[in-house]
Formats: sequence, structure tokens, C-alpha cells
Amino acid sequence: MISLVVLPLFFTVSLGAGQGGAGTTFSPTAHIPIAWVDEDNTLASFRLWQSLSTSKDFSNLIQGYTEQGALAQLGSKRIYAVIVVPQGFQNDLESGSQARVILYTDDSEPGVSDQIQATLTSYTQNFDPDVQVQPYLSQLQRQSVAGVAIVTKGATFAGFNIGLTTVLAIVQIFAGFYEIAGGMSREREDGTYARLLVSPVSIGSIMLGKTLFDILLSIIRTFTVLGISVYAYGARPNTDVLTLLALSLIVALTTMGLGFVVAALKMGARAVVIIEFFLILFLFAFSGLIIDSNLLVGVSQVISNLLPFSYAFDALKRTILLGRPLLSLTFDLEYLIGSILVFYALAFILLHYSRERLIT
Amino acid sequence: MMNFVRDTVAITGKELKQLRRDPVSLVLTIMFPILLIGIFIVIVSAFSATFHNVPVVVADLDGTPASNALLNKITQSRFVHVTQLVQTEDQAYQEVANGQVIGAIVIPQGFGTALAAGDAFVIISTDNSKLTSSQFVNEAVNEAAQALVTQATQQGGVGFGLKLAPIEVIVRPLSGRPPTGDPILPGFLGMIAILGAFDDIVNAISRERERGTFPRLALSPVSLLAVYSGKMFATVVLTVLRTALMLLIFTLYGLVVHGNLILIFFTTILIAIFTLSVGLTISARIRGSATLTVLEIAMTFPLFSLAGTTNSPLLLAPGGKAIADSLPWTYGNDALRRLIYLGSGFNAVAGDLAILIVSSLILLPIAILLSKRTM
Repeated sequence: MISLVVLPLFFTVSLGAGQGGAGTTFSPTAHIPIAWVDEDNTLASFRLWQSLSTSKDFSNLIQGYTEQGALAQLGSKRIYAVIVVPQGFQNDLESGSQARVILYTDDSEPGVSDQIQATLTSYTQNFDPDVQVQPYLSQLQRQSVAGVAIVTKGATFAGFNIGLTTVLAIVQIFAGFYEIAGGMSREREDGTYARLLVSPVSIGSIMLGKTLFDILLSIIRTFTVLGISVYAYGARPNTDVLTLLALSLIVALTTMGLGFVVAALKMGARAVVIIEFFLILFLFAFSGLIIDSNLLVGVSQVISNLLPFSYAFDALKRTILLGRPLLSLTFDLEYLIGSILVFYALAFILLHYSRERLIT
Repeated sequence: MMNFVRDTVAITGKELKQLRRDPVSLVLTIMFPILLIGIFIVIVSAFSATFHNVPVVVADLDGTPASNALLNKITQSRFVHVTQLVQTEDQAYQEVANGQVIGAIVIPQGFGTALAAGDAFVIISTDNSKLTSSQFVNEAVNEAAQALVTQATQQGGVGFGLKLAPIEVIVRPLSGRPPTGDPILPGFLGMIAILGAFDDIVNAISRERERGTFPRLALSPVSLLAVYSGKMFATVVLTVLRTALMLLIFTLYGLVVHGNLILIFFTTILIAIFTLSVGLTISARIRGSATLTVLEIAMTFPLFSLAGTTNSPLLLAPGGKAIADSLPWTYGNDALRRLIYLGSGFNAVAGDLAILIVSSLILLPIAILLSKRTM
């Protein structure tokens, strides 16, 4: 029940809660308390404050601090940044020089400093001190440099689509590995694997039977993740259900193949779980889950290129996010199917030749 | 009282000996920190590489000196690698659609004239399924455009409508450290304390149950309270060792640990004790050690994001933030960041530590009660 229900539910809900679903647009900086220190006290500095405080990105700008007072509070969790408009701000703008704003940040909060800086810069890039009410900046304008607008094209992904690709792959890998490698280890530890081997059932049939059973569970898991992602978090996959199911099962089969190989190495149930944990951490680093695999360097790039799961994540992204037809991803599919065959063949050979060893 | 202390020490010694004899658990205790840091290094080195070489194509439809200047700056960018110059806009987009490149940059016809008028634009099409790479393409074009505008302005742009960004934002981080991925590291220490304590509880309770040694322990002339406190004390000892190992790795990695070391150890011990309470509660319901390990590991992954390890909880969606605020681990990770990264003192983390202590004081007796009932 853990691998069938708890894991899909837990992963999907926790990622959805963290990222927010469709219709829950939020600005990460909106509610962060930030001190505003105006040392210029001019019309220009007032207009900058006005444009920030009325925006949806800085709704928690706190006035009334001196620079020293604000800095003393920074790091105490009462405020996480201090924006200081220094004296001479308006003069610089009037004389055509580049004015300055100083941003002090509590950089012990991972990501907060970069996020506040990027959001603040997007406003200051296009600030016009001669305008009383700064125009609303679209996402496009915020990315632009004064003088050169940057128009971005390319599909943007609604709702929880990116979350869906990640959760679907992780759940299938996590659960599939646990069911095959963990299941066989448990059978071995309980003594039922020895009984299976002395029954008139071939190794191939045992593998096939376990695979078919796990495919059934994988189908249920796919629909569980898909259901929660679509109905609870508003995911809108750019592909049809059959493609999604096919890819999900390919990921599951690759994992099962690897699971059989590990099971043939006579690992205990606990060791299997620990290997599983390392496998998932490994995938986080090398398979394009956290950082695009094309950005990895040196040995990391080689490992990423060898990992079948990198191609699985790539195929999931290209179908679910970009809407590419499954059969157009020939290299990804060839590599994945090749890996499945290699894993299964290797597992069969190992299980066949270590029959005696595995029952002792 | 003396008996209680003696029994507790005996149980602690037994737990530590048992760990020494179990190679899988021992490897786990040592490998967790090394593996986590290894992953951190892989990710950080990918982000902070000198050149990223994200493949892009460029279509220069203008062919003027201004567009050439922009093209040159894009070519020199450390973010992207121009693999091909194409003739038409459609060709450029097609390359992205086919997955040959991550981005297409189109400099439209009339760019030079528009630049002089201050309303030029550049079109970027990116494969947004590659989240980080597509951001690098945007950044490359942004930087190139900024450099072009700066150059034009410095050359006394003849009445150009274009101008430099009017306001420069100067950032001064509180820690005084250069911007790196290092703020994540204290959170990793928190995760090691959590994972380690989860593993300890599996060893201490579930595996004893499976081996049938727990009832024997209960029948021995040692009070149950001493059994539980001995197991908890073993976790404290292991947490101290894990923390020391992590701090050593941090130092070797080049992170200067500013804070009071005793406070850092105290914080990881509190995180471990709270985790132990959670693990003990779960183990009352789920009895198999493998199943318990799987469940606890599965619980740990979302904590990377929800307990503020890799990203500050401040940046989460409202639902996620509410969850983060209700997890005592969030406060533990927060305290570790303040101690290690900012070098804050006791006052800055007293609230966080109080939350961890109160949570453990509430949960631990319940967990022991449940565990005893299902022994």
C-alpha cells in the first residue's frame, strides 16, 4: 500500500504545496518583510517607493527605519532585506548619471537574496522619475534592458506540468525499485524464494510474473499521480493519456530491470532500501531533475549521458511539456528500450547462475 | 538514579557496538554526508562553471553595424554557444522545435534604426523544458543588450533615445561572503541529522523487534525508561559524530564556519531528538524495518524543499509555507544557517531551539507510550 498509494500521494501533494498549482499565482517576494530607508527624501525616491509598494511584488515594505537601525534588525528574522536610497539619488537621475540603490540582504536564506535582487532590478531598470505613477510592467518588460526590449517566445507551462513530469518519474522509480528488488529480497529473507525456485517455474517466468504484477501497479500509480496533478493542482499535460502512460511504463520497466539486477546481487531488504535512496539522490544530481543535464561538466556529463533515466526525464519533458509525439523521440526511446533489454538480460543471467547462492 | 544512569550507558554502549557490527548501517552513517556533499558539488559546479555553452542559433535579419555589434556580444557570452547563423526567423525557431538547440535569438530587420530611436527589440525563443538553460539564454541576451547600450551611450550616442538603466542596484550581503551556493550547506547538515536519526530509530526499534531481541531487553533487569533513554543517548552520540564529520567536510570544502560550535552541535542534537520522536511514533504503526526505512526516506525528500534545505521557506507558495511553518525541522535548519553562515549568537536562534525543544517534549512521551504499547 505504501508504494501504491502513499508514495504517489505524498510526493504529488508535497510538491504541489511547495510550488502552488494552477490559479495560485504568487510572487515569492510579496510578503517578505523588507525595510525601506529613504535618505534622499525627494520626489524621485518617493516615486520609487510608491512604484514598489503598490506593486504585487513588494507588499511588505516597512518604513520608519534608519539605515543603522534596519541593519541591526537584519538577520533577526524581523526583516530579510533593507533597501537604502542614498542621498543624491534624485540629483543623479536629473543629471543623467546612473543613480544607486543599496540592497542589504540576509543571505543566509537560500535563494532569497537573488530573488529580491532580481525583482528589484526589474523595477529599477525601467524606472522613470518623471512619471508620477510608474506603468505596470509586464513580465516581458521586466526582462528587458532600457533601450532594448527582449521579446520571449516558446511554450510556457501552465499549472503543475513541470511538477507532473518530476513526480511521475520519481514515484515510478522509487516504487518500482522497492517492489522488485525489495520484494525479492524479502522473499529470500522469508524463505519463499527458495520454494519458488524448487517449484516447476522457470527464472524467466518468475521475472515475467513479477514484471506483469508491477506493470499493473505502475498503471494505477500513473493514474493516481495524473489524477491528483490534474484535478488538485491544475496540471495540463500537452500530450494524450496513452503517450503519458506508455512513457511512465517505460520508466517503470527500466527501473524494474535495474531492480532485478540488484536483487540478483543477494542484497538484504534493508540494503536494497538504502541503495534506492542513493539511486534517487544520484538521479537528482545527474539526470536533469535539478539542473539540465547539458549544463553538467566533465565526469558528471559522462555519467548523465550513460544514465537511461536522463533520457526518460528528457522524453517525459518533451512530451508532457512540449507536446512532442512519442515516436519522434527516437534516440530517447532506443536508449531506454535498449537499457531495459540489457538490464533484463543481465538480471536473467545473474539470477540463473546464482540460483544456489540466492537460496542460502 | 545511579542504576538508571548505569543502565542507560549500558544500552547506549550496546547500540553503538551493534552499529559497528552492522556494515550496512555503518556505511549509511558515513556515506550520507559524503554523498550529499558530492551532489551539492556537482550541482554548484554546473551552475558556477566559467562557460555554460548552451547551444543557440542566431538569425540576424538586420545586417547593420548595430546588429553585428549585438551578435558579437552574444558570441562572446559565457552563457551561450552560437552553433549556427541562420537566414530566417522560421529556420531559427525550427532548430529549437527539433531539439537541436536550446534557444533561437532573432535580431529583427530595422534593429539598428530602432536602437537609435530607443525602441529596439530582440526576439528569443527557448526550449523551456530545459529550465536553467533557457534562463541562461535570456541572461546572455540581456547582458549583450546591456553591454551594447552602455557602449552606445559611452560613445556619445548621437541623440539616441536609449539610455543606461537609470538605477543600479548594489547588493551587500549580511554575511559579507561572496554569493555562492553555500547557504544550502547548513541545511544539508540538518538533513543529515534527520536522516541519521530516522535510521537510528529503525536500528533501535524495528530491527530489534524483527530479531526478537526487544522483548528480551524488556525482560532484563533494566527499566524501560533506561532502554529508551539509552537508545536516545546512542542517537545523540551518533549525531555528534555525524555533525563533526559534516563540519569537517564543510571546512575541507572551504566553508568558514562562523558560529559557536557548541550551539551547532546542540541544534543538530535537538533536530535528531525530534526526528527520533517522529520515527518512534511511526514505528509503533509500521513494524517492518525495510518498510519503515522506505517510508522515512520518502518523507525526507519533500523535506529538502519544505523544511528550507535547498530553498528558503519564504519563497514557497502559501500552502507550502504553511506546511514549512508547522514543521519543527524548518526551525532547526534555520537555526543552523544563522549559526554557521551568519555566525549569530544564542539570542538569534533561541526561538528556533525553543520550538524544537517544546515539540520534542510534547511528542517524545507520546511516542514512547505508543512504542511501549506495541512492543
